[in-house]
Amino acid sequence: MSNLYDLGALEAHRGINQGDFTAEEYVWSIIERIERVEGKVHAFITLNKENALNDAREIDKKIRTKEDAGSLAGVTVGIKDNISTHGLKTTCASKMLENYVPPYDATVVERLKNHGAIVIGKLNLDEFGMGSTTEYSRYGPTHNPWNLDYVPGGSSGGSGAAVSSRECAISLGSDTGGSVRCPASFCSVVGLKPTYGSVSRFGLISYANSLEQIGPICRTVEDVVTVMNAISGHDPNDNTCFLLRSNVPYLHIKKDTAPSSIAIVKELIDGCDPAVSRTIYSALDKFKEFGWESTEISLKSVNYALPSYYTIAMAEASSNLARYDNIRYGFSLPVEGFEWNTYISNVRSNFGEEVKRRILIGSYVLSSGYYSKYYLKARQLRSLLRQELLSNFGKYDLLVGPTMPVLPFRIGEKIDDPLKMYLMDVDTVLANLAGIPAISIPAGHSNGLPIGLQLMAGPFQEQKLIDAASLLENAIDIARSPEI
Amino acid sequence: MVSKDELRHLGWISRINLSEEEIETFHHQLGDTIKYIDVLETFDSENLTLDYLEVEFSNLREDKTIEFTRDLIPKSSLAQEGYVKGPKMI
Amino acid sequence: MGNILIGLEIHCQLTSLKSKLFCFCHEDYRSFKPNSNICPICCGFPGTLPLLNQKAVEHAAMISNALGSKIPEKIMFYRKNYFYPDLPKNFQITQYNSYGLTSIGSAGSVCISDSKTIRIRRVQLEEDPGRLSYDSGNIHNSNHTLIDYNRSGVALVEIVTEPDFTEPKEVRYFLNKLSSILEHLGVCDTALEGAVRCDANVSLKGGERIEIKNVNSFREVEKALTYEISRQTSLSTRNIRINSETRHWDEQRKITRIARTKEEEQDYRYFPEPDIPLVMLGKDFYTHIEKLVPELPDERLSRFKSKYTLSDHVANILINSKKLADFFESCLKIYYSPVEIANWLVNDLLALIGGEETVILDKLKIEPKHMAELAKLVDEKKISRSNAKQIFTEVFRTGQTPSELLSSTDYSQINDENLIANAVDLVFSSEKSAVEDAKVNSGAINFLVGKVMKMTKGRADPKIVTQLINVKLAQLGNS
Ligand SMILES: [Zn+2]
Repeated sequence: MSNLYDLGALEAHRGINQGDFTAEEYVWSIIERIERVEGKVHAFITLNKENALNDAREIDKKIRTKEDAGSLAGVTVGIKDNISTHGLKTTCASKMLENYVPPYDATVVERLKNHGAIVIGKLNLDEFGMGSTTEYSRYGPTHNPWNLDYVPGGSSGGSGAAVSSRECAISLGSDTGGSVRCPASFCSVVGLKPTYGSVSRFGLISYANSLEQIGPICRTVEDVVTVMNAISGHDPNDNTCFLLRSNVPYLHIKKDTAPSSIAIVKELIDGCDPAVSRTIYSALDKFKEFGWESTEISLKSVNYALPSYYTIAMAEASSNLARYDNIRYGFSLPVEGFEWNTYISNVRSNFGEEVKRRILIGSYVLSSGYYSKYYLKARQLRSLLRQELLSNFGKYDLLVGPTMPVLPFRIGEKIDDPLKMYLMDVDTVLANLAGIPAISIPAGHSNGLPIGLQLMAGPFQEQKLIDAASLLENAIDIARSPEI
Repeated sequence: MVSKDELRHLGWISRINLSEEEIETFHHQLGDTIKYIDVLETFDSENLTLDYLEVEFSNLREDKTIEFTRDLIPKSSLAQEGYVKGPKMI
Repeated sequence: MGNILIGLEIHCQLTSLKSKLFCFCHEDYRSFKPNSNICPICCGFPGTLPLLNQKAVEHAAMISNALGSKIPEKIMFYRKNYFYPDLPKNFQITQYNSYGLTSIGSAGSVCISDSKTIRIRRVQLEEDPGRLSYDSGNIHNSNHTLIDYNRSGVALVEIVTEPDFTEPKEVRYFLNKLSSILEHLGVCDTALEGAVRCDANVSLKGGERIEIKNVNSFREVEKALTYEISRQTSLSTRNIRINSETRHWDEQRKITRIARTKEEEQDYRYFPEPDIPLVMLGKDFYTHIEKLVPELPDERLSRFKSKYTLSDHVANILINSKKLADFFESCLKIYYSPVEIANWLVNDLLALIGGEETVILDKLKIEPKHMAELAKLVDEKKISRSNAKQIFTEVFRTGQTPSELLSSTDYSQINDENLIANAVDLVFSSEKSAVEDAKVNSGAINFLVGKVMKMTKGRADPKIVTQLINVKLAQLGNS
């Protein structure tokens, strides 16, 4: 690889900082790359070309005058289009927000900008983050760079595909039930879902508040570390981000990592595609080669994780999405002549079908008489699940399994069976329910389709994930980016 | 299982107009999903506790004002004197 | 009017906060042009999160404490989901006790008389919605609704009583006391437009519950209830069924009307607000709040009665308005004559202001130092009581001090018996028939006293006047 757009975040940053090339040259290279492959991949909803070039020139000016341009100076970042960007359209891939231009930056965006990163565009997703394939986007599906007929995973499919296809160096996604890790796995890149409360959600357009976190998708573990150090930590704009007031864990890549203990979750590997389990087991052998201890364990909570997850997520979604009434923001439809209920019921029928399904089920499980049967029960089981996972982290450093139980599949293959789609999240929802960090790291390919390995750690133990992911990254050389 | 009438009611309380076609497909799809989450009932809820995120009173926001000075609501949504225009009530 | 049960739901804004409940906009929204006291948070913009105001929790806890309610160690917020154009998120962040007592207060009580206690079901902290108006001024024939979000997100405390009231008069006592408590706490200025609102539910024994909404001042509540009870009573005497319904109070016409928009049975789908963690108030919180709660009306009343030897009636009137009670105590600091001053305030000042409910003492021209000076003059017999009343009226009107008024007009009391005797002689010679009357009818003496007072411009000591007239009448009778 010899193009500027091939560079990872740290490489690009170093090159710009050392004067090997300018930020503007680098951004031009990214823009040309986007122009070449975007027609096939369709990772972006909105491009930010002119602003990005202006930002690059500002960075170059700072570098010329030896000002501190930040730890991500010049690095191109793509932002999932459910994360607010001041002055730049943020649609959630929904008709309901097709004209919405946020009046403020999400905390993560502000922090990336403060570190010198350049927002290159807004990335495709399943509408409001509801989906696992990016097919439920108002703006059409994103294609998997490894095979353009296949889904890139979701809901942060644009974030996975854009990084894998080198349309940006790094990206941000959001992970409610696996939405960062699933596309990372399907696109052969690295995706981290941080501990709940370690990254501010201010500006993240809520789907299921109690479950979701913003996380980075990158081609290398090293880049994940850099992004996390830039975005994590207490934010006074998020009451649920108090946990880390004084001790934001500063992440780093270690030269040598002492062996840890890992536990394979039987339930997660048993039901998965044989190609996936083979790949996971051979990756585990690598850990053993480095003297890591591995045990197989059984997690009872896997049995109720998915129903609990979907109950909670849909309940919260039904309430979060009530605000889209097209009065203060939205698409163009004059109110004159309409009665209030008629108007909003009309405009709200413009949600996509998956969003409608989740709102309807969410309303159902919260209805009077059903609260204890569904929502309360799901919350109680969620607490039980968290306890079971935490007790295991007393015994093992990491829990391991596949990120996705299946290989990437063809676009359109599963779209008519929502329940089947939901069941694919079985491996990823555990971390969201328990509020713990989890990472997906490329573990291999089968017939040219990527397979990711998932590691989970105890709350705020992101460093353990980084250590293990870094070890695997060095031990097995797996391509992150295909030719397109 | 949800009946079609229940589904119409859910559409109403969620303020989403559902077409007859949607009622037909959602009726099956939602039925499947609800049947799936009904499994929650089979878990014994005795001795189950709830945990919540916590915040100390001392960490709550200080009572101070900061004015938001940027434009918030697009001009096209405004009526006379700065009011936001909404549909009529009756 | 037997067998009536009334319960109240009162909303009071925490008007002494600087910012709204969940954002940095001004709590005092009243002076702003439409939609100029708003931000992404209180307009429910995508991606925003509520930031709970610490002081709001504190003020709500003070109210809860003052209403004798239990404050839990942890409080929670819930979402109440319903669609309405004044609600930018289409849910309201509020508190809810059905799944455990987590609102800022529960199980309180307030005495409204020696024999009557009203139980408080709960006290909760929540956000106020925005305000709606109509382009034609009327909901029925407007082509659209005009929405102003300036009030959206203002901190509101909801106080819910048990249905313990049995007549509208009790409701008035309760609301008077509540106003005074809020004033004493300094958390809600009940005089501000819309700062306190009240919904009531009324049922005749065996009948359905009727909700009365839209009562926008405490003064109107009693009227609305009286109207509604006589309406229900007249229906039931004619054997007409009373249906459970929501009615609105029409302040202009002074009647309750059935709400035009039929409110369906609402399913609010309450669930815990995921963006606000459980707030740990901690063990020290209760003592912290107790320290913040000042002397309350009940304690102040008994102190007024014991320390100042005021009658129950006078003390109650003073206490019902914190400003009046404060005015009273400021006077005492300058000149200590509690009974005298209390009577002036309760009888004369309130008569001039026109009723106790509109006491806005900070806008008056009369100040405590004026009142104190006047009381001193009366106590020292430098002026007669009737002259003091004239001076009081002048001070109230102009804000001049009593001594200024005294030097510009001669109000000093005439105690000289010779001078007064002269005046008595003059009256006796000019009012012969009255004198004849007075010989047989002691009631007519007052007429003669009045004439003498008038002749001396009110300056004669009325006691001496009466004494001299009696002496003179006796002399006439003997001769
Ligand atoms: Zn605001």
